[in-house]
Amino acid sequence: MIGVDRRRLRRSAADLRAALVYPLTTDVRLFGAGLVTIGTYVLLVLSTYPQFTRQLLERDVTDVTYGVSVLTREVYLTRGWLGLALVVVYSLLTGVAVTNAVTLLRHRRRSGATSIAGILPGVLAAGCASCGAGVLGALGFVGAMAVLPYDGTLLRVGGIALLLVFLARAGDPRTCSIGAGGGTDRGASAE
Amino acid sequence: MDDEDTITRRRAILAGGATLGFGAGVAYLATRSPSTDSTYEPATIHEGSGASGLGIELSGRPIVGEPDAQVDLYYWTDYLCPFCARFEANTLAKIGRNYVDAGQVRIPFLLYPNIGEYSMPAAVWDRCVWEQVRGDDPNAYWDWHGEVFDVQRSSGDGWADDATFADVTERVADVSLSDVESCRETRGDAIRDQLDADASAAQSAGIRGTPGFVVYNRETDQAGHLVGAHPYDNFETAIDRVLAT
Repeated sequence: MIGVDRRRLRRSAADLRAALVYPLTTDVRLFGAGLVTIGTYVLLVLSTYPQFTRQLLERDVTDVTYGVSVLTREVYLTRGWLGLALVVVYSLLTGVAVTNAVTLLRHRRRSGATSIAGILPGVLAAGCASCGAGVLGALGFVGAMAVLPYDGTLLRVGGIALLLVFLARAGDPRTCSIGAGGGTDRGASAE
Repeated sequence: MDDEDTITRRRAILAGGATLGFGAGVAYLATRSPSTDSTYEPATIHEGSGASGLGIELSGRPIVGEPDAQVDLYYWTDYLCPFCARFEANTLAKIGRNYVDAGQVRIPFLLYPNIGEYSMPAAVWDRCVWEQVRGDDPNAYWDWHGEVFDVQRSSGDGWADDATFADVTERVADVSLSDVESCRETRGDAIRDQLDADASAAQSAGIRGTPGFVVYNRETDQAGHLVGAHPYDNFETAIDRVLAT
Protein backbone atom coordinates (compact mmCIF):
# COMPACT_ATOMS: atom_id res chain seq x y z
CA MET A 1 0.00 0.00 0.00
CA ILE A 2 2.81 2.38 0.99
CA GLY A 3 4.68 1.40 -2.19
CA VAL A 4 1.66 2.31 -4.32
CA ASP A 5 1.34 5.69 -2.55
CA ARG A 6 5.02 6.41 -3.09
CA ARG A 7 4.73 5.51 -6.78
CA ARG A 8 1.71 7.77 -7.11
CA LEU A 9 3.53 10.60 -5.32
CA ARG A 10 6.59 10.19 -7.58
CA ARG A 11 4.36 10.17 -10.65
CA SER A 12 2.55 13.32 -9.47
CA ALA A 13 5.87 15.06 -8.87
CA ALA A 14 7.02 14.07 -12.36
CA ASP A 15 3.73 15.33 -13.85
CA LEU A 16 4.03 18.62 -11.96
CA ARG A 17 7.59 19.08 -13.18
CA ALA A 18 6.49 18.30 -16.77
CA ALA A 19 3.68 20.86 -16.50
CA LEU A 20 5.95 23.54 -15.02
CA VAL A 21 8.68 23.25 -17.68
CA TYR A 22 6.30 22.94 -20.63
CA PRO A 23 6.44 26.70 -21.51
CA LEU A 24 10.20 26.23 -22.10
CA THR A 25 9.51 24.08 -25.17
CA THR A 26 9.20 26.96 -27.69
CA ASP A 27 10.04 30.67 -27.77
CA VAL A 28 6.39 31.56 -28.39
CA ARG A 29 5.18 29.59 -25.37
CA LEU A 30 7.87 31.10 -23.17
CA PHE A 31 7.01 34.62 -24.34
CA GLY A 32 3.29 33.91 -23.89
CA ALA A 33 3.82 32.58 -20.37
CA GLY A 34 5.84 35.70 -19.55
CA LEU A 35 3.12 38.01 -20.83
CA VAL A 36 0.39 36.16 -18.91
CA THR A 37 2.54 36.24 -15.76
CA ILE A 38 3.02 40.01 -15.95
CA GLY A 39 -0.63 40.56 -16.90
CA THR A 40 -1.79 38.43 -13.96
CA TYR A 41 0.49 40.29 -11.54
CA VAL A 42 -0.78 43.68 -12.73
CA LEU A 43 -4.39 42.50 -12.48
CA LEU A 44 -3.94 40.98 -9.01
CA VAL A 45 -2.13 43.99 -7.58
CA LEU A 46 -4.60 46.48 -9.06
CA SER A 47 -7.53 44.40 -7.79
CA THR A 48 -6.33 44.75 -4.18
CA TYR A 49 -7.91 48.22 -4.23
CA PRO A 50 -10.47 48.27 -7.06
CA GLN A 51 -12.11 51.58 -6.19
CA PHE A 52 -8.75 53.40 -6.28
CA THR A 53 -7.72 51.61 -9.48
CA ARG A 54 -10.95 52.49 -11.25
CA GLN A 55 -10.69 56.17 -10.32
CA LEU A 56 -7.01 56.30 -11.24
CA LEU A 57 -7.46 54.69 -14.67
CA GLU A 58 -10.62 56.66 -15.45
CA ARG A 59 -8.61 59.86 -15.06
CA ASP A 60 -5.55 58.71 -16.98
CA VAL A 61 -4.88 55.19 -18.27
CA THR A 62 -1.13 55.83 -18.35
CA ASP A 63 -1.23 56.05 -14.55
CA VAL A 64 -1.36 52.23 -14.52
CA THR A 65 2.38 52.13 -13.72
CA TYR A 66 1.83 54.48 -10.77
CA GLY A 67 -1.02 52.22 -9.60
CA VAL A 68 1.09 49.05 -9.83
CA SER A 69 4.00 50.77 -8.10
CA VAL A 70 2.06 52.12 -5.10
CA LEU A 71 -0.13 49.05 -4.71
CA THR A 72 2.91 46.72 -4.79
CA ARG A 73 4.27 48.66 -1.81
CA GLU A 74 0.82 48.59 -0.20
CA VAL A 75 0.68 44.78 -0.55
CA TYR A 76 4.17 44.49 0.97
CA LEU A 77 3.34 46.81 3.87
CA THR A 78 0.02 45.15 4.69
CA ARG A 79 0.88 41.48 3.99
CA GLY A 80 4.68 41.40 4.29
CA TRP A 81 7.17 39.53 2.12
CA LEU A 82 5.16 36.30 2.34
CA GLY A 83 2.00 37.97 1.05
CA LEU A 84 3.87 39.62 -1.83
CA ALA A 85 5.71 36.39 -2.67
CA LEU A 86 2.39 34.55 -2.85
CA VAL A 87 1.12 37.04 -5.45
CA VAL A 88 4.34 36.61 -7.49
CA VAL A 89 4.19 32.80 -7.27
CA TYR A 90 0.54 32.79 -8.22
CA SER A 91 1.28 35.00 -11.26
CA LEU A 92 4.09 32.68 -12.41
CA LEU A 93 1.91 29.59 -11.99
CA THR A 94 -0.92 31.24 -13.89
CA GLY A 95 1.50 31.99 -16.74
CA VAL A 96 2.34 28.27 -16.88
CA ALA A 97 -1.27 27.12 -16.43
CA VAL A 98 -2.63 29.36 -19.19
CA THR A 99 0.14 28.32 -21.63
CA ASN A 100 -0.60 24.65 -20.94
CA ALA A 101 -4.35 25.20 -21.18
CA VAL A 102 -3.94 26.87 -24.60
CA THR A 103 -2.04 23.82 -25.85
CA LEU A 104 -4.71 21.51 -24.47
CA LEU A 105 -7.40 23.50 -26.27
CA ARG A 106 -5.49 23.65 -29.55
CA HIS A 107 -4.77 19.93 -29.62
CA ARG A 108 -8.32 19.01 -28.65
CA ARG A 109 -7.04 15.76 -27.27
CA ARG A 110 -9.49 13.29 -25.82
CA SER A 111 -8.81 14.21 -22.22
CA GLY A 112 -8.46 17.92 -22.95
CA ALA A 113 -11.78 18.97 -21.55
CA THR A 114 -11.12 17.07 -18.34
CA SER A 115 -7.66 18.57 -17.91
CA ILE A 116 -8.82 22.14 -18.52
CA ALA A 117 -11.72 21.56 -16.17
CA GLY A 118 -9.05 20.40 -13.72
CA ILE A 119 -6.85 23.48 -14.04
CA LEU A 120 -9.55 26.14 -14.12
CA PRO A 121 -10.91 25.67 -10.58
CA GLY A 122 -7.36 25.93 -9.24
CA VAL A 123 -6.70 29.12 -11.18
CA LEU A 124 -9.94 30.67 -9.97
CA ALA A 125 -9.57 29.51 -6.36
CA ALA A 126 -6.01 30.79 -6.08
CA GLY A 127 -6.92 34.01 -7.89
CA CYS A 128 -9.83 34.72 -5.60
CA ALA A 129 -7.64 34.00 -2.60
CA SER A 130 -4.92 36.35 -3.86
CA CYS A 131 -7.14 39.32 -4.61
CA GLY A 132 -9.73 38.53 -1.96
CA ALA A 133 -9.20 41.69 0.07
CA GLY A 134 -9.89 43.94 -2.89
CA VAL A 135 -12.89 42.00 -4.10
CA LEU A 136 -14.39 41.86 -0.62
CA GLY A 137 -13.67 45.57 -0.20
CA ALA A 138 -15.42 46.32 -3.50
CA LEU A 139 -18.42 44.40 -2.21
CA GLY A 140 -18.46 46.56 0.90
CA PHE A 141 -16.79 44.14 3.35
CA VAL A 142 -14.01 46.56 4.29
CA GLY A 143 -11.43 44.88 6.53
CA ALA A 144 -12.91 41.41 5.95
CA MET A 145 -9.52 39.79 5.29
CA ALA A 146 -8.27 41.07 8.66
CA VAL A 147 -10.64 38.72 10.48
CA LEU A 148 -9.57 35.64 8.49
CA PRO A 149 -6.81 33.42 9.96
CA TYR A 150 -3.39 35.07 9.45
CA ASP A 151 -5.14 37.95 7.59
CA GLY A 152 -6.11 35.60 4.75
CA THR A 153 -2.56 34.29 4.14
CA LEU A 154 -3.69 30.73 4.89
CA LEU A 155 -6.41 31.09 2.27
CA ARG A 156 -3.88 32.30 -0.30
CA VAL A 157 -1.44 29.46 0.46
CA GLY A 158 -4.33 27.00 0.10
CA GLY A 159 -5.30 28.50 -3.25
CA ILE A 160 -1.76 28.15 -4.61
CA ALA A 161 -1.50 24.57 -3.32
CA LEU A 162 -4.74 23.83 -5.13
CA LEU A 163 -3.35 25.29 -8.36
CA LEU A 164 -0.22 23.10 -8.03
CA VAL A 165 -2.38 20.01 -7.49
CA PHE A 166 -4.41 20.78 -10.58
CA LEU A 167 -1.26 21.43 -12.66
CA ALA A 168 0.15 18.08 -11.51
CA ARG A 169 -3.08 16.36 -12.51
CA ALA A 170 -2.95 17.81 -16.00
CA GLY A 171 0.80 17.14 -16.47
CA ASP A 172 2.52 17.79 -19.83
CA PRO A 173 -0.26 18.96 -22.17
CA ARG A 174 1.32 17.10 -25.15
CA THR A 175 0.78 13.70 -23.56
CA CYS A 176 -2.32 11.49 -23.57
CA SER A 177 -4.12 10.76 -20.34
CA ILE A 178 -4.90 7.11 -19.66
CA GLY A 179 -7.73 7.64 -17.24
CA ALA A 180 -8.34 9.22 -13.88
CA GLY A 181 -5.61 8.48 -11.37
CA GLY A 182 -3.73 6.51 -13.98
CA GLY A 183 -1.09 9.15 -14.77
CA THR A 184 0.03 9.88 -18.30
CA ASP A 185 1.69 8.00 -21.11
CA ARG A 186 5.03 9.83 -21.34
CA GLY A 187 6.34 10.50 -24.80
CA ALA A 188 3.08 9.80 -26.60
CA SER A 189 2.39 12.98 -28.50
CA ALA A 190 -1.17 14.02 -29.05
CA GLU A 191 -0.27 15.56 -32.41
CA MET B 1 6.96 16.93 -32.55
CA ASP B 2 9.17 19.44 -34.38
CA ASP B 3 12.83 20.07 -33.62
CA GLU B 4 11.98 23.34 -31.97
CA ASP B 5 9.61 21.67 -29.53
CA THR B 6 12.25 20.84 -26.92
CA ILE B 7 13.61 22.47 -23.81
CA THR B 8 16.87 24.23 -24.67
CA ARG B 9 19.52 25.61 -22.35
CA ARG B 10 19.01 29.07 -23.90
CA ARG B 11 15.29 29.11 -23.06
CA ALA B 12 15.90 27.70 -19.57
CA ILE B 13 18.45 30.46 -18.85
CA LEU B 14 16.13 33.09 -20.34
CA ALA B 15 13.19 31.89 -18.21
CA GLY B 16 15.35 31.77 -15.07
CA GLY B 17 16.72 35.25 -15.72
CA ALA B 18 13.27 36.68 -16.45
CA THR B 19 11.84 35.12 -13.27
CA LEU B 20 14.67 36.57 -11.19
CA GLY B 21 14.24 39.95 -12.88
CA PHE B 22 10.49 39.87 -12.22
CA GLY B 23 11.06 39.06 -8.54
CA ALA B 24 13.74 41.72 -8.20
CA GLY B 25 11.49 44.33 -9.86
CA VAL B 26 8.64 43.55 -7.47
CA ALA B 27 11.05 43.67 -4.49
CA TYR B 28 12.34 47.08 -5.67
CA LEU B 29 8.81 48.50 -5.93
CA ALA B 30 7.94 47.05 -2.52
CA THR B 31 10.88 48.56 -0.68
CA ARG B 32 11.17 51.89 -2.48
CA SER B 33 10.19 54.56 0.04
CA PRO B 34 8.39 57.62 -1.30
CA SER B 35 10.00 60.98 -0.64
CA THR B 36 8.42 62.74 2.30
CA ASP B 37 7.36 66.37 2.65
CA SER B 38 6.74 66.76 6.37
CA THR B 39 7.73 70.40 6.89
CA TYR B 40 4.23 71.80 6.39
CA GLU B 41 2.38 73.20 9.38
CA PRO B 42 -1.14 74.58 8.84
CA ALA B 43 -1.88 78.11 10.02
CA THR B 44 -5.24 77.20 11.53
CA ILE B 45 -6.82 74.13 13.08
CA HIS B 46 -10.25 74.51 14.59
CA GLU B 47 -13.02 72.40 16.03
CA GLY B 48 -16.01 71.66 13.82
CA SER B 49 -19.61 72.24 14.86
CA GLY B 50 -22.87 70.81 13.58
CA ALA B 51 -23.40 68.79 10.44
CA SER B 52 -22.11 69.90 7.06
CA GLY B 53 -24.36 70.47 4.06
CA LEU B 54 -23.63 66.89 3.04
CA GLY B 55 -24.95 65.66 6.38
CA ILE B 56 -21.53 64.72 7.75
CA GLU B 57 -21.30 65.38 11.49
CA LEU B 58 -18.37 67.68 12.28
CA SER B 59 -19.04 68.49 15.95
CA GLY B 60 -15.92 67.88 17.98
CA ARG B 61 -13.85 66.89 14.91
CA PRO B 62 -10.55 68.61 14.07
CA ILE B 63 -10.65 70.71 10.91
CA VAL B 64 -7.49 72.02 9.26
CA GLY B 65 -7.97 75.40 7.57
CA GLU B 66 -10.13 78.48 7.82
CA PRO B 67 -13.70 77.98 9.14
CA ASP B 68 -15.18 79.89 6.18
CA ALA B 69 -13.25 78.11 3.38
CA GLN B 70 -15.44 77.48 0.35
CA VAL B 71 -14.55 73.80 -0.11
CA ASP B 72 -14.52 70.92 2.38
CA LEU B 73 -12.08 68.08 1.69
CA TYR B 74 -13.35 65.38 4.06
CA TYR B 75 -10.47 63.04 4.80
CA TRP B 76 -11.14 59.58 6.30
CA THR B 77 -8.02 57.86 7.57
CA ASP B 78 -6.77 54.86 9.56
CA TYR B 79 -3.42 55.00 11.40
CA LEU B 80 -2.68 51.42 10.31
CA CYS B 81 -3.17 52.24 6.63
CA PRO B 82 0.11 52.47 4.65
CA PHE B 83 -1.75 54.14 1.78
CA CYS B 84 -2.76 56.94 4.19
CA ALA B 85 0.89 57.33 5.22
CA ARG B 86 1.79 57.78 1.55
CA PHE B 87 -0.88 60.47 1.16
CA GLU B 88 0.37 62.23 4.29
CA ALA B 89 3.97 62.11 3.10
CA ASN B 90 3.51 63.06 -0.54
CA THR B 91 0.32 65.02 -1.03
CA LEU B 92 -1.18 66.53 2.12
CA ALA B 93 1.47 69.25 2.42
CA LYS B 94 0.98 70.36 -1.21
CA ILE B 95 -2.78 70.61 -0.72
CA GLY B 96 -2.11 72.57 2.46
CA ARG B 97 0.22 75.08 0.84
CA ASN B 98 -1.81 75.55 -2.37
CA TYR B 99 -5.40 75.44 -1.12
CA VAL B 100 -5.66 75.45 2.70
CA ASP B 101 -3.27 78.36 3.29
CA ALA B 102 -5.03 80.26 0.47
CA GLY B 103 -8.28 79.95 2.44
CA GLN B 104 -10.05 77.99 -0.31
CA VAL B 105 -10.14 74.54 1.31
CA ARG B 106 -10.52 73.19 4.82
CA ILE B 107 -9.89 69.55 5.72
CA PRO B 108 -12.05 67.83 8.36
CA PHE B 109 -9.98 64.95 9.77
CA LEU B 110 -12.29 61.95 10.14
CA LEU B 111 -11.47 58.38 11.08
CA TYR B 112 -12.44 55.12 9.44
CA PRO B 113 -10.79 52.30 11.43
CA ASN B 114 -10.82 49.26 9.10
CA ILE B 115 -7.33 47.81 8.57
CA GLY B 116 -6.43 45.79 11.65
CA GLU B 117 -7.12 45.01 15.29
CA TYR B 118 -5.45 48.18 16.59
CA SER B 119 -7.21 50.48 14.12
CA MET B 120 -10.00 51.28 16.58
CA PRO B 121 -7.75 51.79 19.65
CA ALA B 122 -5.51 54.04 17.50
CA ALA B 123 -8.56 56.07 16.51
CA VAL B 124 -9.54 56.43 20.19
CA TRP B 125 -6.01 57.69 20.98
CA ASP B 126 -6.46 60.25 18.18
CA ARG B 127 -9.72 61.63 19.48
CA CYS B 128 -8.48 61.72 23.07
CA VAL B 129 -5.39 63.66 22.01
CA TRP B 130 -7.61 66.09 20.09
CA GLU B 131 -9.92 66.57 23.10
CA GLN B 132 -6.91 67.42 25.27
CA VAL B 133 -5.32 69.98 22.94
CA ARG B 134 -8.20 71.54 20.99
CA GLY B 135 -8.72 74.39 23.47
CA ASP B 136 -5.23 75.73 24.04
CA ASP B 137 -2.97 74.32 21.38
CA PRO B 138 -4.81 72.68 18.46
CA ASN B 139 -1.62 72.51 16.39
CA ALA B 140 -0.25 69.92 18.84
CA TYR B 141 -2.80 67.57 17.30
CA TRP B 142 -1.19 68.07 13.89
CA ASP B 143 2.23 67.22 15.37
CA TRP B 144 0.92 64.10 17.10
CA HIS B 145 -0.94 62.91 13.98
CA GLY B 146 2.15 63.39 11.78
CA GLU B 147 4.39 61.69 14.34
CA VAL B 148 2.19 58.56 14.36
CA PHE B 149 2.39 58.27 10.57
CA ASP B 150 6.17 58.81 10.74
CA VAL B 151 6.39 55.87 13.15
CA GLN B 152 4.19 53.76 10.88
CA ARG B 153 6.42 54.51 7.87
CA SER B 154 9.59 53.58 9.70
CA SER B 155 8.23 50.42 11.33
CA GLY B 156 7.41 46.94 10.18
CA ASP B 157 4.42 44.76 11.02
CA GLY B 158 2.91 44.92 14.48
CA TRP B 159 4.16 48.42 15.29
CA ALA B 160 0.79 49.61 16.59
CA ASP B 161 0.20 48.94 20.28
CA ASP B 162 -0.45 50.82 23.53
CA ALA B 163 3.27 51.24 24.23
CA THR B 164 4.04 52.82 20.85
CA PHE B 165 1.14 55.26 21.06
CA ALA B 166 2.02 56.16 24.65
CA ASP B 167 5.60 56.76 23.53
CA VAL B 168 4.50 59.03 20.68
CA THR B 169 2.14 60.92 23.00
CA GLU B 170 4.90 61.46 25.51
CA ARG B 171 7.29 62.71 22.80
CA VAL B 172 4.99 65.31 21.28
CA ALA B 173 5.15 68.66 23.03
CA ASP B 174 2.03 70.05 24.74
CA VAL B 175 0.22 66.69 24.87
CA SER B 176 -0.26 65.20 28.34
CA LEU B 177 -0.02 61.42 28.36
CA SER B 178 -1.82 61.10 31.70
CA ASP B 179 -4.75 63.22 30.48
CA VAL B 180 -4.99 61.17 27.28
CA GLU B 181 -4.84 57.88 29.22
CA SER B 182 -7.56 59.15 31.53
CA CYS B 183 -9.70 60.06 28.51
CA ARG B 184 -9.21 56.57 27.01
CA GLU B 185 -10.50 55.05 30.24
CA THR B 186 -13.44 57.32 30.89
CA ARG B 187 -14.49 58.49 27.42
CA GLY B 188 -13.72 55.36 25.36
CA ASP B 189 -17.35 54.33 24.75
CA ALA B 190 -18.54 57.81 23.80
CA ILE B 191 -15.60 58.22 21.41
CA ARG B 192 -16.25 54.84 19.80
CA ASP B 193 -19.84 55.98 19.12
CA GLN B 194 -18.45 59.11 17.47
CA LEU B 195 -16.08 56.96 15.39
CA ASP B 196 -18.94 54.69 14.30
CA ALA B 197 -20.69 57.81 13.04
CA ASP B 198 -17.56 58.80 11.06
CA ALA B 199 -17.39 55.31 9.50
CA SER B 200 -21.10 55.36 8.65
CA ALA B 201 -20.67 58.75 6.96
CA ALA B 202 -17.80 57.30 4.88
CA GLN B 203 -19.91 54.34 3.81
CA SER B 204 -22.83 56.60 2.93
CA ALA B 205 -20.46 58.66 0.78
CA GLY B 206 -19.45 55.51 -1.14
CA ILE B 207 -15.99 55.25 0.45
CA ARG B 208 -14.80 51.62 0.46
CA GLY B 209 -11.32 52.02 1.92
CA THR B 210 -8.78 54.47 3.26
CA PRO B 211 -7.64 57.08 2.59
CA GLY B 212 -11.04 58.25 1.39
CA PHE B 213 -12.00 61.78 0.37
CA VAL B 214 -15.08 63.76 -0.50
CA VAL B 215 -14.56 67.18 -2.09
CA TYR B 216 -17.57 69.40 -1.38
CA ASN B 217 -18.32 72.98 -2.38
CA ARG B 218 -20.27 74.36 0.58
CA GLU B 219 -21.72 77.22 -1.46
CA THR B 220 -22.91 75.36 -4.55
CA ASP B 221 -23.52 71.97 -2.93
CA GLN B 222 -21.44 70.18 -5.59
CA ALA B 223 -19.39 67.15 -4.52
CA GLY B 224 -17.01 64.52 -5.86
CA HIS B 225 -15.08 61.72 -4.20
CA LEU B 226 -11.62 60.19 -4.38
CA VAL B 227 -10.34 56.99 -2.81
CA GLY B 228 -6.69 56.05 -2.32
CA ALA B 229 -3.33 57.79 -2.44
CA HIS B 230 -3.86 59.47 -5.81
CA PRO B 231 -1.11 61.64 -7.27
CA TYR B 232 -1.40 65.33 -6.30
CA ASP B 233 -2.59 66.24 -9.82
CA ASN B 234 -5.79 64.23 -9.30
CA PHE B 235 -6.57 66.14 -6.10
CA GLU B 236 -5.85 69.41 -7.88
CA THR B 237 -8.25 68.47 -10.70
CA ALA B 238 -10.97 67.36 -8.27
CA ILE B 239 -10.70 70.49 -6.09
CA ASP B 240 -10.54 72.88 -9.08
CA ARG B 241 -13.55 71.19 -10.65
CA VAL B 242 -15.64 71.64 -7.49
CA LEU B 243 -14.37 75.21 -6.99
CA ALA B 244 -15.44 76.10 -10.54
CA THR B 245 -19.03 74.97 -10.03
